[in-house]
Amino acid sequence: MIKEQRMIKSDRADFQYTEIVLHNGLKIVVAPMEGYTGVHAVYGTYFGSVDREFEYSGIKHVLPAGVAHFLEHKMFENEDGDAFSLYAKTGASANAYTSFDKTCYIFTATQNIEESLDILLSFVSKPYFTEATVKKEQGIIGQEIKMYDDSPEWRIMFAMLQSIYSNSYVKDDIAGTVESISEITPTMLYKCCNAFYNPQNMVLSVAGNITVAQVMAAVEKSEMNFDSKPLDKILPEESMDIVRKEHEIEMTVACPMLGLAYKCIPYAENKRHYGEVITDMVIELVTGDSTPLFKKLYDTSLINGSFGGESLSGVGYNCVMFTGETSNPKKVRRELLAEISRLKEVGINEEDFEICRNLMYGECISEFESIQNVAGSMADAAMQSRTLFDHIEIIAAVTVKNINDAIKTMFDEDKLATVTINPISEKR
Amino acid sequence: MNRNQLSQGVFLSTLPADRFKTCCVTLNFVIPSNKSTATVSALLPMVLSNSCKAWPDLTSFSKKLDGLYGASLSADSYVLGANRIIAVTISGIKDKYALKNEMLSAEYVKVLLETAFSPNFKNKLFIKDIVEIEKQKLKEILENEINEKRMYCLRNAKRKFYGETPAGVDKNGNLQDLEKTTNKTLTAFYFDMIRSSSLEIFVVGADEQAVKKDVLECISKLDRKPVELLKPDVMPVVKTQYFEENMDIVQGKLCMIFTGDHMLNDEEYAKMRVSVAILGSLPTSRLFMNVREKQSLCYYCSASYSVTNSMLILDSGVEHQNTQKAEIAILKELETLKTTLVNNDELSNAKLALCSALDGVGDSLHGLVGWYLGGVFRGVNVTPKDVSNLIQTVTAEDIKESMNSFNLSVVYRLTKEGE
Repeated sequence: MIKEQRMIKSDRADFQYTEIVLHNGLKIVVAPMEGYTGVHAVYGTYFGSVDREFEYSGIKHVLPAGVAHFLEHKMFENEDGDAFSLYAKTGASANAYTSFDKTCYIFTATQNIEESLDILLSFVSKPYFTEATVKKEQGIIGQEIKMYDDSPEWRIMFAMLQSIYSNSYVKDDIAGTVESISEITPTMLYKCCNAFYNPQNMVLSVAGNITVAQVMAAVEKSEMNFDSKPLDKILPEESMDIVRKEHEIEMTVACPMLGLAYKCIPYAENKRHYGEVITDMVIELVTGDSTPLFKKLYDTSLINGSFGGESLSGVGYNCVMFTGETSNPKKVRRELLAEISRLKEVGINEEDFEICRNLMYGECISEFESIQNVAGSMADAAMQSRTLFDHIEIIAAVTVKNINDAIKTMFDEDKLATVTINPISEKR
Repeated sequence: MNRNQLSQGVFLSTLPADRFKTCCVTLNFVIPSNKSTATVSALLPMVLSNSCKAWPDLTSFSKKLDGLYGASLSADSYVLGANRIIAVTISGIKDKYALKNEMLSAEYVKVLLETAFSPNFKNKLFIKDIVEIEKQKLKEILENEINEKRMYCLRNAKRKFYGETPAGVDKNGNLQDLEKTTNKTLTAFYFDMIRSSSLEIFVVGADEQAVKKDVLECISKLDRKPVELLKPDVMPVVKTQYFEENMDIVQGKLCMIFTGDHMLNDEEYAKMRVSVAILGSLPTSRLFMNVREKQSLCYYCSASYSVTNSMLILDSGVEHQNTQKAEIAILKELETLKTTLVNNDELSNAKLALCSALDGVGDSLHGLVGWYLGGVFRGVNVTPKDVSNLIQTVTAEDIKESMNSFNLSVVYRLTKEGE
C-alpha cells in the first residue's frame, strides 16, 4: 500500500511531520502536535474553478463555470443521507471550500477522531447525484452567487481578473453564474468525480492530536478508488495582452474602491513557490504599513487600513493586485505608480529588507501553532510537491538583490488594468 | 486561569501556553458604556495604536513591530453588556524562535505599555494632526457600514432593539459626535479612562512577573479611582416592531431579535447553548436543514445568542420575493421547539457538537484568551470542561423551557424597492 514514507523536519520551526505516498498515488501528510486536544483534517483534490477543460481516459471535456464549487456542495449528499448528519454523531465540525485550483473537505474534532476520518474518506469517494438534487442545489448556489454580488471586495477582484485575462478561467467567479450552473447535470458531475476525485489527484492532511497509525488505519478501511486513469488538464491559450485598461462599476457602497491588477508571466511549476514568497515580500515593501507610500497616503486620508496588495498565481496565471477604499482613486493610482517607478530606480535598502524578512519569518513561525493552519498548509505544500518548510527556508535565503530584481520585472504598466467601484448615483 | 489583584481595580490573569509558538499580553480598560463617550471611545484606540512617544509616527511604529518578527499590536473598543472595553493587545513569536536570540517578550511588554500609557503628546494634548487623520478614518468606518450588508442589517436591528440603553451604544459612535471631537476632548477622555477604568490584564505565554512589575510601575504614577461598572440587564418585553429599509442590493437580509425575560445563570446558559445549536448554529440545525435545504428559502439562516444581554438573534440572507415566506418558516421552527420535545438523537448530537468545540477552546491562544476574558467580564470563572458537564445535564424539557422564555422584539428587513 505504501510506496514512499519520509519524516520532514525543521529545526528552525521546531516542527516535524510525516509524508506518505501510496501506490495508488494518494499523498498523506500527518503532523502529530503535542499538547493539543483537537484534530484538523483536510481531504483535498487538485480540482478548482480554473479546471474547465481536461482530457480523461482519452475523452476531452469542457465544463461551464462553477462545476468544482457545485461538486463541493453536492459531495456532502449520498444515497443514505448527508455527511453532516453523519458528522453530527461524532461531534466534528465539518465544512468545505473551493478555490481557483483546489477543493478541500475539512473537519475539526476533539472526540471520535477515527469515526470522523472514516466519514471524510467515505463520502468523498461515494458520489450520488440525481436530477432533483442537482436542481435544488442550483437554487441554493444561485442565492450564494447573489450574496457575493453585493460584496464590493469580491466584485472588484473579479472585475480586475476579467480586465487582464481574456481566456484563462481564473477570470470567472469560483461559483460560476446563475446561467452557467444551470447547465450542470448529474452526468457531468459524475465525470468530474471520476477524473479529479481519484487518489493520484488528492491529498489527505491531518494535524493535531493524531498519530500516523490512526490515519493509516482509516485509509486502509476506506474504499478508495484504485483504478486511476490518466488525467490531463488543458490550459486555454492566454497571451500576455490585457483585455481593458480601465473599468468602472456602480454599487451600493459609501466610498469608492480602487483596484489595480498587473498581469505577470506565470511561474514554471518548480519556481512557483519561490516566486510567490518573493512577490509577497515585494508587496509588503511597496505598500506595507511601514512604507513611505502607506504613510503618505494614510496621513493625507487617501486610504484607510483596507488598502493593500496580494498576489494570485497558479498554473497558467500570475498577477499582483492592489485594492482599497479611497475618496480619490485617481490620486492613489498615481501615487502607487510613482512609488513603484521610484523603487525600480533606487531599489529597496538593506535595512528595510531585513525588517521585512523578520516580519515574514515571524508570520511563518506563528502558522505552526494552529492545527487548522498546519493541516491546510501541509495540504497546499503536498499538492504543489514541496514541503511545509520551503516557505521559511526561502525567507531565510532571499537577498535584497532578489527583491530588487523582482521589482524591476514584476510591474509592467502595459500589463496594468484599473478598476473603480463608484457609489451608486443618488437614485437610492 | 490564575487571576490576582495588583491594586485597586487592576487584575492580572495568566494562562499556561507552552504548546504555542506565540505569546500574548492584553490590557483591557473597562468603563461604563455611555452614548456621549461612544465616539471618543472608538477614536482613542485608533490614535493610540498609531502614535506613542517612543515611536511617534506610523512608519516608525510599524517598523518597530515588523522588526520584532511581525509582532501584532491591536487596539480596539467594543461594548459588552452595559460596559465599554478599550483593549490594547500585543502578540508575537516566543523568544526561543528569534533568529538572533533577542528578548522579544520583554520588548512586547515595553511596546504595549508605551502604547497605552505614554501617548505622543504635544503641550499635554494628543497631536491635532494625528487626531484629525484618525477622525477621517473613523468617519469612513461609520460611512462604510453600508458596504457589508449582513452586518448592516444586524446593526440596525440591534439599534432598534436596544434603543438608548447603555448596551445599545454603537461600537463606533456616530458622525455627529465625531464632528465635534477635538484633540482636547480626546485627551480629556483618555485621562478619564486611565483614572476611572478597571483594568484587566491577560498574560498568555509571556513572563508574568515582568509584566506585573512593569504594570505596577506604570500605575504607581497615575491618579486612579476606578468607578463601579454597570450590571447588564435584559431588554423588556415589548410588542414586536417591524422595520423595512430599501436598498439597491441583489440579496435581501432579514434579522429577528428576541429578548429573554431574565439574565441567565450558568445552568440556564448551558440549556440555551443546546437550544440555539438545535435551532440554528450548526449545519444540522433546524433552520439550515428545513428553511434552507428543504424549502430553499434562503442562502444562510442562523441563530446566535448573546449572554451579556440575553438576546437571541436569527439572521438570514433571502431572495427578495421570499422574505415573507422565510420569516414565516423561521418563526415556525422556533414555535415547534417551544411546543414539541426534541428527540434524543437531536439532543445528544447537539450536545456532542458543543462539547467537542468546547474541548478545542484550548487549542488556540486567542480562543483561550477570549474564553477567560469573557468569563471575567461576566463575573464567572468556569472552564470549558465545567460548561461541558452542565451541557450533558440538559433535557428535552429544558429546550422547550428555554425557547419559551424569548419574545420577538424586532424584525428588520433589508430589501430592494419594488421587489
